[in-house]
Amino acid sequence: MQVFKLFMKVLKKNIFTSMIYIIVFIAISIPMAKSASTEKTFKDTSLKIVVFDEDGTDASRALAGFIGKKHKLKTLENDKDTIMQALYFQSVDYVLTINEGYGEKLLSDDTSALFSTYHMHDSYATVMVSQLLDTYVSAVRAYSAGGAELTDACEMASDAVLQQAEVTIARSKGSENFSESTAAHFRYLSYILVSVIINALCPVLLKLNKKEFRFRTNCSCIKPTSYTVQLFTGSAVFIGALWLALMVVSVVQNGGMFSGIAWYAVLNTFIYTIICTAISLLICSFDPSDNVVNLLTQIIGLGSSFLCGVFIPQSMLGSGVLAAAKFLPAYWYVKVVEMLSGAEVFDGSKLAVYLLIEAGFAAALLMMSLVVNRIRYTSAAIKLPTLRKEAQQ
Amino acid sequence: MENTVVKIENLVKRYGELVALDHFSLEIKEGEIFGLLGPNGSGKTTTINCLLSLLSFDKGNIEIFGKKMTPVSYDIKKDIGIIMQNVVVSDELTVRENIDYFCGLYIKDKDERRKCVDDAIKFVGLEDFVKFYPKKLSGGLLRRLNIACGIAHKPKLIILDEPTVAVDPQSRNRILEGIQELNRNGATIIYTSHYMEEVEQICTRIAIMDKGRKIAEGTKDELKRMIKNTETITIEALGLEDGVVAEMRSLPHVYEVRYDGKLLIILCSGGKHNLIRALDVLQKRELGFGRVYTELPTLNEVFLEITGKALRDKEE
Repeated sequence: MQVFKLFMKVLKKNIFTSMIYIIVFIAISIPMAKSASTEKTFKDTSLKIVVFDEDGTDASRALAGFIGKKHKLKTLENDKDTIMQALYFQSVDYVLTINEGYGEKLLSDDTSALFSTYHMHDSYATVMVSQLLDTYVSAVRAYSAGGAELTDACEMASDAVLQQAEVTIARSKGSENFSESTAAHFRYLSYILVSVIINALCPVLLKLNKKEFRFRTNCSCIKPTSYTVQLFTGSAVFIGALWLALMVVSVVQNGGMFSGIAWYAVLNTFIYTIICTAISLLICSFDPSDNVVNLLTQIIGLGSSFLCGVFIPQSMLGSGVLAAAKFLPAYWYVKVVEMLSGAEVFDGSKLAVYLLIEAGFAAALLMMSLVVNRIRYTSAAIKLPTLRKEAQQ
Repeated sequence: MENTVVKIENLVKRYGELVALDHFSLEIKEGEIFGLLGPNGSGKTTTINCLLSLLSFDKGNIEIFGKKMTPVSYDIKKDIGIIMQNVVVSDELTVRENIDYFCGLYIKDKDERRKCVDDAIKFVGLEDFVKFYPKKLSGGLLRRLNIACGIAHKPKLIILDEPTVAVDPQSRNRILEGIQELNRNGATIIYTSHYMEEVEQICTRIAIMDKGRKIAEGTKDELKRMIKNTETITIEALGLEDGVVAEMRSLPHVYEVRYDGKLLIILCSGGKHNLIRALDVLQKRELGFGRVYTELPTLNEVFLEITGKALRDKEE
């Protein structure tokens, strides 16, 4: 097992940078995953609103009361500097002044200059409150036009606008075993797997497959097949240990052992690990330098993560990007995670197709690395006599 | 009679239309330090690669220790040590770990291996560097590590492919002494080098190759007798007349005389008293002269005369 031992020693010397990836992943992904949305029911947003009533009528008091039912009413000195400061520090979201004559204007169906406001430009709070006021005023006018007294109209408008439907976030059957935070964790895992495997495995394989090193070993008593088997065993032990370690981290992140459909995520990660190994083998077959390996780690790791929805949800990516991403294995990996998290309706046969596509990528990449190795071997054999001919001329 | 360790018969290796080895034959006896010389591209490395079954060949036969050599002749390979031109060690292993790794490719028993590794470290004088990584070693120490990795399993046949390239004179001397010691301990050595003085110093028999063929073989004295120039006489003498130079040319065994006004160089082929005859000519005319020295041909001259002086590509 000399070659296997050498593999492990070389790996040990090269594992440091990969360990940084894993530590940073644990340090960042777990808090990020924890901070991911865990809400299962819909809850209305409540803003901090200041109301100055300069009208002082029943209608204006009804409006203030209506706002208070939906949002938190805050008090503030009616001074421009104080208001600006409060908005700047976000201690209030919106300042509404009900102008004098508001009640009368409603009666005469005049909606001009009913309010004066202070708000942050283009903030979502501004849009929300403006829409709320428009809806309320329209409802009051509609009830008034229908013959209701202004106070009754205000009350009915308030009841109508404040009516809420019960909202529940729909989740696919079984996805309760796979929380949003676990989904986020598994998504980030694809970036770590591809980066760590390329970064750690390629330098070791490149060193042990270096032409002079192989030649020197072939002079010895060790059989070439034994050499390859020991390299394969070393790679398998490393890949297996890495995968297991990351699964342990995933269990910790999950807050307990996986159950139900979450096991599909484990299978998904296992297949993706094989894909990353195949990518590493393909890179090695081109015999690149250490700098090129580092560059490829970044390009493949970050590139496929951004294109395939690891960092940004696939739903936020453009159709063109997604069409291109379909040719990358990370896309299908993320598709599986999204299906398990409930972003897509769970369908066992679809899931199987996604996993098979990933397995297909692994097989194709392995075949490519074999073909490239063969072409390189053949072209090297052609090159040698050419060089020798030139030498003799 | 000594046993034949290596026997190469009519070896032919072609790369497409190019013939790298053209019916090359060689026989190396037990206990020899055999020098394999040749210009770049002459087929030395191809010969060694065929010998080690790293390359297949088109025709011929190779026997080592009386057995046919094939890629799966592991019983033969266990008794062969190879020291390659480039230092082949792992930067991730210490000196001791490197030697242990290569030794472990031949010897599985841990205790036996430990002893072999200790012996190899002592032999190349790396006792103070066992925990060093190769990147911390000088060029000379690296070469010694390379040798230790090749000989740790105590092979009977050691092949050294230019082991002293880019090594300072002290380290080179140490390496050459080490090779001679290995030979004294019973190993047969095949040595390739571009440094003629090294080959001349340590090799008991030499073969010169060119264009895939063996063009000369013998001891260094036998090789020197093969060329025209057997002695070069140099005399410091000022203002010699043309008549003197002409008389020198007419002396027996002299085939060329060069004179630049200060140095008289007389090239002789054969004969025993060339120097005395040349000095007689000067004394007879009562001409004064300074330092006089005579040189026998070097292996370098033999090599250049046999292989020609045209430049060769560096690609081997």
